[in-house]
Amino acid sequence: MLTSSGRAPVVTQPMLVFFAIMFSFPFWADAAGLYHYLGVEIAVFIIYALGYNLLLGYTGLPSFGHGAFLGIGAYSYGLWQFSGYPGVFTGLAVAIVCAAAAAGAAALFLSHRRGIYFALMTIAFGQIFWFLAIKLRWITGGEDGLLNVLRPTLDFGALDISLRSNLTLFYLVAVLLTVLILVLWRLVHSPFGTALQAIRMNEMRARFAGYRVWLIKWTVFTLSGAIAGLAGALLCITQESAYPDVMSLHASGFVVMMTLIGGGFVSFWGPVVGAIVFILARDVLGAATETWLLWYGLLFMAVMLVEPEGVVGAWRKLIAKLRRSSVQPGPAQEPKPAAEGGAA
Amino acid sequence: MDFLQNLLPHLLNGLALGLLFALIALGFTLIVSVMEVINLAHGSLFALGVYLAMVIINPTFGDLGAFGAWYASLPLGARYVIALVFAPLLIAVLGFGLEILLRRTYGKKKEYGLLLTFGAALVLEETIRIVWGSGEKVMPTPQTISGAFIAGDMIYSTYRVYAMAFGAIAIAMVWLFLDKTPYGAIIKAGAHDSEMVRALGINLPRLQMLVFGLGAALAAIAGIILTPIWGLRPHVGVDATIPAFLIIVLGGIGSFWGAVLGGIGVGLAVGLTGAYASDWSLLSMYLLLVAVLSVRGRGLFGKKTALEA
Repeated sequence: MLTSSGRAPVVTQPMLVFFAIMFSFPFWADAAGLYHYLGVEIAVFIIYALGYNLLLGYTGLPSFGHGAFLGIGAYSYGLWQFSGYPGVFTGLAVAIVCAAAAAGAAALFLSHRRGIYFALMTIAFGQIFWFLAIKLRWITGGEDGLLNVLRPTLDFGALDISLRSNLTLFYLVAVLLTVLILVLWRLVHSPFGTALQAIRMNEMRARFAGYRVWLIKWTVFTLSGAIAGLAGALLCITQESAYPDVMSLHASGFVVMMTLIGGGFVSFWGPVVGAIVFILARDVLGAATETWLLWYGLLFMAVMLVEPEGVVGAWRKLIAKLRRSSVQPGPAQEPKPAAEGGAA
Repeated sequence: MDFLQNLLPHLLNGLALGLLFALIALGFTLIVSVMEVINLAHGSLFALGVYLAMVIINPTFGDLGAFGAWYASLPLGARYVIALVFAPLLIAVLGFGLEILLRRTYGKKKEYGLLLTFGAALVLEETIRIVWGSGEKVMPTPQTISGAFIAGDMIYSTYRVYAMAFGAIAIAMVWLFLDKTPYGAIIKAGAHDSEMVRALGINLPRLQMLVFGLGAALAAIAGIILTPIWGLRPHVGVDATIPAFLIIVLGGIGSFWGAVLGGIGVGLAVGLTGAYASDWSLLSMYLLLVAVLSVRGRGLFGKKTALEA
């Protein structure tokens, strides 16, 4: 359940397990038949999906135009580098600020909306940004996008680390992801996080309880857009290009898929699991067949029909079942956790 | 006078486009109001309808024997009319199937239904790509409605006039159906309060299935008429539904006249800006949307509904 009460520890067991797996990835990747570049991509999309789940899973706001902010992050990073300014971190900061500004502007119109109006409006805004990315040819390079955004070098005074190799890039992304996970975990267990969940469960009651719902929705949308901007900038470094495809309606739908396949509605870790499953499945299916999108769509439909709570939801049900069967059958059983709180 | 004369064709273009957009939007809004599902597969149903119509007009599969020979000898016009009837019917049947799948998501989170249709959209679009390839296709149209005619000192495309008339008549028929028949009354009641409709002894699941089929068929009809203007490629569905989404929000969700006026407004905006800055014409509809929503939060005719909860 995405509900929290009381104090949450700063670092949790699943976190340590995840960090251990992530930081050791380059050592066992080859043995598992994976490669470093894939690890970078997965880590970038985990960042994207974690930020997105602040909106979808925690606040219950389905945005269908989130690719726009990923794209804006990528373009801003690329343009910043093109204009001759050095510094990876300043580039990332610029990307975050630009994406946050765009998301903040869109959120001015969006945060008064609810339900279906919100979803349709995000589609409209996503399309506006996508359209601009294609048409502002002299800035964005049109349909081709920005090409040859060469991978930069991290400059720590005495120590220069080139991001040319996927290994160093992976560790840069992994460190950023670690920081993000710690921050987001803190955030969703803060009073702000509680307010988000109150809005998801019942927006009107949250307002009556004294929350400034409009402002909270604006803030979380902007924040989520900023994180998407970070992911976009990292994607731009990884792929050495920025292009409008990631901003299309389909691509925006993919992050929703990612988040849900993993179980974003029921767990903090849902988007992490989802991004891993999504990219791995794309890689495997993409290698096996030209028509991977077809199988992808079918897979996704099956998830929605059979287990819409995703991998984490299925896992929890399995654990609950195992526990129940290991306990002696009798009337005194642990109460079943209540169904998802704000069914709306 | 010269100015007006230059403007007139663009106005008419916009009107034709708008009426057809409105038709897509009407199907979409019917589904949203009765089932509370944003049907992201609407565009794919639209596209598949056109591809099916193309096949019905010029069957390319297998050997159909004597029937095939007889059918091929029919004039193009007759085959066109047959396609205009049967392709939407086939899409309606597909819509029934999709609705049956969707039933599992009713009563759960709204997003589940929406995402199921997103999956369906991927499957349909990829299927189109597998069967018909990714290239542009041309849908044949009968002689009588192609070409151009001269009115006064203006040359105008016959097809666009036909499309405009067809759109207007189709919208009128949907209105008659919804407003003047008992079935329409049941659908409107179902959109208003489906629990009550069920309590009155009406078969709600069947009603929902039929409404989904009707919505899908309207998309297919609009697609067949719109294609000679817009061209045909696998992702044409997305291009066509984006305006439909905008129109729904612009006109107000669940409102018939909102969809029609929104459709005409968007069509005119696209048509007129197309006259002066064709590259930017699609942006005008987004700007129109933002402008309207800044003033009226629920669109032109939107009312506060359960859909916002």
